[in-house]
Amino acid sequence: MNEIKYIGERLWAGQLGNAFVVLSFVTALLSFISFYLAFKNKNFISLARIAFNVHAFSVLGIIGTLFIMLFNHFFEYQYAWQHSNTAMDMKYILSCFWEGQEGSFLLWTFWNIVLGLILKRQLKNGDWEAPVMTVFALVQVFLASMLLGVYLFDYKIGSNPFLLLREHAEFSNLPFIKMPNYLAKLDGRGLNPLLMNYWMTIHPPTLFLGFASTLVPFAFSIAALWNKQHTKWQAMALPWTFFGILVLGVGVLMGGAWAYEALSFGGFWAWDPVENSSLVPWLVIVAAGHTMIINKNKGGSLFTTHFLAIGSFLLVLYSTFLTRSGVLGNASVHAFTDLGMTGQLVLYVLTFIFITVALLIEDKLFKVSYIVVSLFIYFIGIIYGYKRMLLMGWIGTSSVIIGISYYKYFPKEKSEEEVYSREFWMFLGALALLTMSATITYFTSMPVINKLFGTDYAPPKVPLYNQTILPFAVLLGFLIAGAQFLKYKKTEGKKFLKRISYSFALALVFGLACGIPLYFVNAKTIGYDEVSYTVLLIFSLFAVFANVDYWFAVLKGKISKSGAAIAHIGFALLLIGVLISTSKRVTISKTETSKKPSSLGEGFDDKVSMLLTQGDTLPMGPYLVTYKGQYRKGINVYFTVDYFKMNGNKPEYDFTLEPHIQDNKKTNQKSPEPATKHYLNRDIYTHVTAADLNLDTSAKKKNAYGEAKNYVGHVGDTIFANNAIVIIDSLRTNIGKEQYQKNDSLLEVTAVLRALDSRSNEYKALPKYIIKKNIVIPQDDEIKALGLNFVFWKINPDVGTIEITMSQKLSNAKDFIVMEAYIFPYINVLWLGCIIMALGTGIAIRERIRKFKSPTN
Amino acid sequence: MKKLHIVGIIVIAVAIGVIFVSLKNTSTYADFTEAIANPDKEYHVVGKLDKAQPQMYDPKVNADEFEFTLVDNKGVAKQVILHKSKPQDFEKSEQIVLIGKMRDNQFHANDILMKCPSKYNDGKPQVN
Repeated sequence: MNEIKYIGERLWAGQLGNAFVVLSFVTALLSFISFYLAFKNKNFISLARIAFNVHAFSVLGIIGTLFIMLFNHFFEYQYAWQHSNTAMDMKYILSCFWEGQEGSFLLWTFWNIVLGLILKRQLKNGDWEAPVMTVFALVQVFLASMLLGVYLFDYKIGSNPFLLLREHAEFSNLPFIKMPNYLAKLDGRGLNPLLMNYWMTIHPPTLFLGFASTLVPFAFSIAALWNKQHTKWQAMALPWTFFGILVLGVGVLMGGAWAYEALSFGGFWAWDPVENSSLVPWLVIVAAGHTMIINKNKGGSLFTTHFLAIGSFLLVLYSTFLTRSGVLGNASVHAFTDLGMTGQLVLYVLTFIFITVALLIEDKLFKVSYIVVSLFIYFIGIIYGYKRMLLMGWIGTSSVIIGISYYKYFPKEKSEEEVYSREFWMFLGALALLTMSATITYFTSMPVINKLFGTDYAPPKVPLYNQTILPFAVLLGFLIAGAQFLKYKKTEGKKFLKRISYSFALALVFGLACGIPLYFVNAKTIGYDEVSYTVLLIFSLFAVFANVDYWFAVLKGKISKSGAAIAHIGFALLLIGVLISTSKRVTISKTETSKKPSSLGEGFDDKVSMLLTQGDTLPMGPYLVTYKGQYRKGINVYFTVDYFKMNGNKPEYDFTLEPHIQDNKKTNQKSPEPATKHYLNRDIYTHVTAADLNLDTSAKKKNAYGEAKNYVGHVGDTIFANNAIVIIDSLRTNIGKEQYQKNDSLLEVTAVLRALDSRSNEYKALPKYIIKKNIVIPQDDEIKALGLNFVFWKINPDVGTIEITMSQKLSNAKDFIVMEAYIFPYINVLWLGCIIMALGTGIAIRERIRKFKSPTN
Repeated sequence: MKKLHIVGIIVIAVAIGVIFVSLKNTSTYADFTEAIANPDKEYHVVGKLDKAQPQMYDPKVNADEFEFTLVDNKGVAKQVILHKSKPQDFEKSEQIVLIGKMRDNQFHANDILMKCPSKYNDGKPQVN
């Protein structure tokens, strides 16, 4: 076969990119090995640092090259082709960059490098530099390998972003490959329109920075297990951990905000596996941050802190596996597609569990045998199969070993914890967060459990999640309320109880005053939901009041000291916002029907969406709504819906919402996006679920009439037009004798048609039936306002009927939408809570860094 | 650390409780035959749209009712009544997961998940 000489390909970019990919992998590996050796032999440290710096440089090189490719539309490369096109607005270039898996791995790698470089500087020449950076470099080895895209014994390692389109396995046998000048006529496929959203430019970097920051406490924890210095690492990791709490928390909530603003699953949280797998690491790192504080102030909780710090990073890896391996299959609507890296991702998760467990074992013989057995199991799995059984056996063994090493090797507290001590309450909180995380992980992992055990459980639905999580939220509210008033070690119980009883009494009064009308007054049945909602409301309010009290009475309102109090107020407000906006969400598009699917059981709702025909005005909740029509702007089709409020008897215009549907011709997708009217105390959230997007609204067609339809009837009959009811009112003949003779055998019959539109406005049309010299010459008539045209063309005297044809303007053609509308009450409390929590955490971090730097502490 | 041990035991008990309760309440993936056998239990049925059979969606009559026929993975075809509006891009779905139960030889679904080929990996390079 002849080599085809392709025209215009810029192969240098791919070569450059691949050089950086290889360099980044090799230098990561080199830096890992030399940091590892530097742990024992300081001579290796400078080599390790240089290797890490070169690695950082080459990752920046990869990113830069990829940007050049995207920015200059190098569509000969699969990544640029798949994720961008020429028509695209360049402000979305960042979204293009991380739309694909390779790009999002790069983003993650990038943040790891930023954090790694800062940490390297901070720890320079200290005891911790080598062990912490070893962990960092090892993670970078794994991440860098994700971009390799090379084959090792038929096994593909990584997915390379610099692959040429014509070399891509899916496209390499398409006919265009044979055309040397294919590039000149090629445009990219473009960005998924759902991602053309400003949230998509800020949410992923924040989330990935959050993911990256879980690596810091993990690296410190592993380093401490390695160098056996169990006391110092927590103080060093503490500010980083809270940084992770802040950034990951904000990232997760931004995801919720994005879902609420731009996706149409009707809320901010759907317990989708993709959402859960970023929430769980956050919950765990929050728990880790709290046990670190315990350890710092009072000692103890060492094992738990290790467990949590390692856990949050492993859960980030696990979530990467869940969302990117294709294992979720049917369970999630927005997981990434499988790039054939499942094995690789599983291997990474298992490797880090393996390293952790191996480091936990102090006994040398025991350690060596664990390592040997693990490797043995791994190779048996590869060669003979039985992977499922071996994996479960290995995980079981490893868990047992974790338990044993907790009892054998970890320093224990001698004294018993006091019930009225801050550490006990904080520990309970951490445990609650951990149990909550375990529950969510278990629910989310149903597809994995099915794979492992051969079961066929479906992922749980939203109500089950809510009902299970709610008791934990109550417990957290209670602990958050009390913990700050307690001192470390011991507090006098009576004084403490008296102190918090004021806040509790206040919360009880407020909670019942709000909860009874909200959940009990109009409730048909009183069950678990109503009671638990009220209880959660009371305890969240308790947490707010108690922390406000603590902030002003104990801390005297001093901002710099009150980070924790403020963050906890924010968290409690967030709980309240979630609770009220979710439990009191009202479907206002609900209309009464005779059919009641709700009789089928839980999960079946009676009508939730309503049909709006253009021009009609219908009542919807507290509003009257009119659908005015659709218009197209770019790839979006907007549906204009006016909202009116009754003012006395008169409807008064209130506002307009334009939910839209993205109609992307290129990817052939239609995706609805909501429109929301924000008020201080509620949101009106609407989205269109069905509509006819192919209406031709061009001016030419707009005024054209559609096909005429014939109607046979007599006086008093009605004809149904799209926008009106037409009544055949009467027939008038004006064949006076004289006239007939004068006009030379002219017979003229006029049909009087009365048309009533939806607002009962009356219009008249007078089409005429004329016979002149035995020839029928009908004279049509039109109702301009309604776009209706009538031709009266036949009289059947023997049966007493007349025939009229009616044609309707094309623009009348039943333009309709099916819309869902909800009111989310007090959802702003949720967002306010988020902001306050983020501010509080920020203040706390600043204070921690200040304390960490000041030598007196 | 006695108290913490008690707390630990409580946590484990709660976790086991959660697992049992949830396994009882979670629906399972199944085919139509199994759903017919247990008309009161909610199932996730996976299958494909039967394109030869008519689909009925008339928002003027009921905007929350959509009828079509699904062939499950065992090849059994049943009429489905989805109590929701017709989803966008429905015809393009490669695979459909329905959540609901069997009543009177019809499968009543309260939710639908669709796998569309277009979601992330659609389109071939077009050169003209």
